[in-house]
Amino acid sequence: MALVTSEVSRTRSTAASLRLSVLMFLADPQWLIPSMIAPVVFGLVAFELFRGAGPYFLTYAILGAGMMSMWGQTLYGSGWATGQDREFGTLEPTLQAPTPYLYVVLGRVVWNVVSGLIGGGIVYLVVVLAAGGPPALPDPLAFAILFVFVMLTLAAVGVVFAAFYVYTRYAGFIQNIGEFAFYVGTGCMFPVVLLPFWTNPLALFFPPTWALDALRYNSIPGYVGFSWGFGWDLVGAVATTAVYLAIAGTVFHRVERHVLEVGNLSDF
Amino acid sequence: MLRNDGPAIETHGVTRRFESRKGFLFRDVTRTDALQGVDLTVERGSIFGLLGPNGAGKTTLTKILATLLLPTGGVAKVLGHDVTQDAAWLRPRMGLVLGGERGLYNRVSGRENLRYFADLYGIPTAEREERIRSVLERVDLLAAADRRVEEYSRGMKQKLHLARGILHRPEILFLDEPTIGLDPKSARETRKLIRSLVADGVTIFLTTHYMFEAEELCPQLAVLSKGRIVARDSVDRLRQLVGGDRTLEAEAYGFDDVEVAALRRLPGVSKVAEEEFGPATRLTIRLRTDEIGIEEVQRALPGHDELSVRERRTSLEDVYLDLVEEEAR
Repeated sequence: MALVTSEVSRTRSTAASLRLSVLMFLADPQWLIPSMIAPVVFGLVAFELFRGAGPYFLTYAILGAGMMSMWGQTLYGSGWATGQDREFGTLEPTLQAPTPYLYVVLGRVVWNVVSGLIGGGIVYLVVVLAAGGPPALPDPLAFAILFVFVMLTLAAVGVVFAAFYVYTRYAGFIQNIGEFAFYVGTGCMFPVVLLPFWTNPLALFFPPTWALDALRYNSIPGYVGFSWGFGWDLVGAVATTAVYLAIAGTVFHRVERHVLEVGNLSDF
Repeated sequence: MLRNDGPAIETHGVTRRFESRKGFLFRDVTRTDALQGVDLTVERGSIFGLLGPNGAGKTTLTKILATLLLPTGGVAKVLGHDVTQDAAWLRPRMGLVLGGERGLYNRVSGRENLRYFADLYGIPTAEREERIRSVLERVDLLAAADRRVEEYSRGMKQKLHLARGILHRPEILFLDEPTIGLDPKSARETRKLIRSLVADGVTIFLTTHYMFEAEELCPQLAVLSKGRIVARDSVDRLRQLVGGDRTLEAEAYGFDDVEVAALRRLPGVSKVAEEEFGPATRLTIRLRTDEIGIEEVQRALPGHDELSVRERRTSLEDVYLDLVEEEAR
């Protein structure tokens, strides 16, 4: 007689997805390029780019290159992990399992956050080695915490992107088109206030814009970012991140329903 | 809310339409009716076979029943629950084996694939490793469990698909071409496994291209053609449906139309089909009654020194081809 399984634990599903992400990462040498080699290149380029740009150029270089590296790892990676499910043909059996797919995506996002932080750490080391010493940070602990917080805002956007990959096999195409605009628009390398004014309202729709501005306010004395300053940057980042997570929760449910209607789960 | 009585599968007028869009701005829409009103009942604890040519709608129906696709119309119930409304209740209780090269994480081992799905299905942690070992042993994949799936042969991947399908001990198992790509020994073991699952009380819904497999495994089966069920019964009853239990085959180097027409006029002949193979021609003569035999056919085909006539039991393949050809007309 067949047995019915026990209640499915969402935490366990997320942990299983995280574990599989790590195994897949370790099994595939191509990931060394974006996660290990790219941060080294970004770090060296940013160091040369910002050299001589004031007393805090090292912090600018670390933030610029770090964000550039983490953007790819965390945001792009979170979406692409779902794209891989389409490629492997594993989207169908995964959706057929009793776990809501959102919790599978969350496991992947956690891994992408961790690998993004590793990339950020590599950038830090490269810039410090190139400069011969660490940057002058007013509050290193706050810097580290805000660094992680920026990652989480990127991850929140990544979760929404992942829903697109479930929705359509063309999600990679859409994400590639939007990549550069998003990267510049959220101020990964340069503060958003340096961009044309009309871009600022658009940029505010993205949580990393707020979080990055807060990080720069915290770590670069005399930094001039958004006029409302550090505190409201934090509030904005938390609020927009919450909105993105809420959107993800709703969108995933609807997207799952939609793909069952359309029947494109096995398309790649 | 358990409903242990009633059929395992029940569908009424299930339809499914697919739309594909192409061209500039995806404005060219092509609509395909993959299922056109499927009515089906499958009893619990049995093996039900679904036969049909490529594109008949077998996989579409399987995916609808397995909650991976919504029907466009009609009602589909599995274990008494509507597949569109109660997917969350049904999913832990059903297994699906779609098979093929895809559908697995190729860069990790077979065991890791199963661990992942064991967690997604909520198999108790304390039981997980033993359950994985047990299913790997059952599909004869234990020795290769820790090798990467990308190193597996197609047959081994098929076995891993099967292992994943039964890992959580489903009440109903959907098998889409489960022995495709398997060598004869593995295919035989898979059929043995399927029978043992039924002995455990599992309901099996099986699609296959292999007629002997359906004949061997399925007490009840249906033939799907162009999205419609064209026949549904036991193999023996289907034989009667297309003409009977006896078939004669006559082979020679060419028959003319007059000879074929003469055969068709013989008493008890329900159908004569002509098939070329190389320089020879084979006439398959389906018999409704016992009125004629080999001698009568030989007399009806004079002037063929090389003529050979033999009698055999009408096979499921004959039945299938008759039904599908009839539907095509």
